[in-house]
Amino acid sequence: MSAVTFDGVTKKFGEVTAVDDFSLQIADGEFMVLLGPSGCGKSTALRMIAGLEEISSGILTIGERVINHIPPRDRDIAMVFQSYALYPHMTVAKNIESPLVANKNARVDAEERQRRVAAAAETLDLTAYLDRKPGELSGGQRQRVALARAIVRQPEVFLMDEPLSNLDAKLRTQTRLELVDLHRRLGTTIVYVTHDQVEAMTMADRIAVINDGRLQQVGPPQAVYERPANLFVASFIGSPPMNTIAGTLSLGNGPALVHTDVGVIAVGDHGDAVDELRVVAGVRPEHLLLTPPDDTALRATVENVELLGHERHVVCQVGGSLMTVRQPNDTPPPANGSQVGLVSDPVGVHLFDATTTERLN
Amino acid sequence: MSAPISPPTTERARRLRTKLKDAALGYAFLLPALVVFGVFAYYPLYRLVYYATHEQSRFRNRPPQWVGTEQLVDTLRSQDFIQGLTHSGLYMIYTVPLGLFLGVVLAVSTHRRLKGIKIFQTIFSSTVASSVAVASVVFYTLVNPEIGYFKDVAWLDLSNPSSALFAVSLSSVWQNLGLTFIVVLAALQAVPDEMIEAATLDGYGAVRRFFRITVPLISPALLFLAIVLVVVALQAYAQIEILTQGGPAGSTETLLFKIADPRGVRSLGERGSLSLGLFVLTAAVAGLQYSIMAKRVTYGD
Repeated sequence: MSAVTFDGVTKKFGEVTAVDDFSLQIADGEFMVLLGPSGCGKSTALRMIAGLEEISSGILTIGERVINHIPPRDRDIAMVFQSYALYPHMTVAKNIESPLVANKNARVDAEERQRRVAAAAETLDLTAYLDRKPGELSGGQRQRVALARAIVRQPEVFLMDEPLSNLDAKLRTQTRLELVDLHRRLGTTIVYVTHDQVEAMTMADRIAVINDGRLQQVGPPQAVYERPANLFVASFIGSPPMNTIAGTLSLGNGPALVHTDVGVIAVGDHGDAVDELRVVAGVRPEHLLLTPPDDTALRATVENVELLGHERHVVCQVGGSLMTVRQPNDTPPPANGSQVGLVSDPVGVHLFDATTTERLN
Repeated sequence: MSAPISPPTTERARRLRTKLKDAALGYAFLLPALVVFGVFAYYPLYRLVYYATHEQSRFRNRPPQWVGTEQLVDTLRSQDFIQGLTHSGLYMIYTVPLGLFLGVVLAVSTHRRLKGIKIFQTIFSSTVASSVAVASVVFYTLVNPEIGYFKDVAWLDLSNPSSALFAVSLSSVWQNLGLTFIVVLAALQAVPDEMIEAATLDGYGAVRRFFRITVPLISPALLFLAIVLVVVALQAYAQIEILTQGGPAGSTETLLFKIADPRGVRSLGERGSLSLGLFVLTAAVAGLQYSIMAKRVTYGD
């Protein structure tokens, strides 16, 4: 069994807490993405699974085993680093073979080694490059060698630390598909760290959003997108990011409304929120509509129109901040500087408590 | 005929003029370096060949006589040269492997994140800041046969012909430690952390990790040091002059010492011949080293 469980895991570097009381259950065979901005602790969490960082407190298990004090080589894991960390003085074949010969106690015999290396090279389309050195390969090829080195030992868990960051955009898209395909074929648990939410959304079975060392939300990509648990998750996931505006909730006859400095927003479901509560309303760009200026809409001025071919993003000045509206490109775009009204689809309005930033609806 | 037709050679002539100007500028930039090389390297080499091929009589007012290769061959076949060669060779064998080994051991032991490790790093690299003469005098206070702290240690005895060369070479080993330590430490620090982490995850134990991963990655630095230490060993002079003056009974007279000839017992012709011998020896050793070791050195990406 290769489920990974964090139970109240904390990591401190002196006075600094990098990972704070982190609890997460990663199911066997799951593709779990740890997503967050730079310095949020996701890499530290990954390195704790690998054994490259000591755990300050809490319990970390793989399957049934508590691995807090087990040395890295005995944890039955494989890691792909951001810089690939290939050995430049060894050929590709020797690099791939490395985990099978490194540990004198767990050494695999020559025939089996040959078979596994050939299989791994075959899976990642590297058979033609086995006698080359890493210095002679392109970035994408080196990344595949790093992957081959990881799969050859048939571990319980794969750990990946931003493996696509050093690739160009086109190669990144291609490799994303290959990784998803690899996961489907091998069925092994993968824990994948990234700051790129597109990677997270397209590859993950579940996403764990992390900020400041704390778990913010965990769930399937669509759930995290449609029902973000707090303001941080709401503004981190989604491109262009969710539009937010502060205001006061008023409940009365008719629909719930959020009164802001620049107009009113109708809210569908107001959840646990009470009357007169200071809230932050969030609306995704696809749930906003441009209308002529109106009492029932937010007052906005068109700042810029970004044409993307199949659609356009209309960036508007609302009060002191910017909001983006996604529109199809079939009608003439609004003119820069024109006064418009913004109306939101009430179903698409997210309410967050202004003080705790937690989701209310 | 209205406009004059320009002759076809003008364009070519102009291009040639530009090329010559560029070349002249290039040589002008090279000139200072060429002059220095000429004065301090090529001219002395020419003079060496001159001394080796001319015999200078003891009567200084007589001009040197051309003797061809006779003097050169005689000197290179003499007991003097063979003895000098042997001592230089031994000096090399004593200082190079030990110097490399100690440098690596010290660098590896201080390549870690511990509080106060910088103090040790400073101490170990300190010999790079002292001159050979000063360091030799300091060493002498330790091994002085009369009052030195180690005067009773048999294998450090400067007054015994069988141990004197080794004792002097230890002085060199100590002096070279600064340079060796700094170069190996810098090479160790250039090894990417992630590579060591990958090796740890692959399952290499600490020792195997060092020999299979770290050593190949620092091999360019080790090759550099091996060559430098050999050349430095063959050029050792000041420590011998200060510690033993070539004695006892000529047991610490390396080839260079004989060439420098502080007591004036050899003629210029002999010394020139010895110099040429040393020149060929140094070139041969460096070349051999390079060809053997360069193949096994990896310049990683």
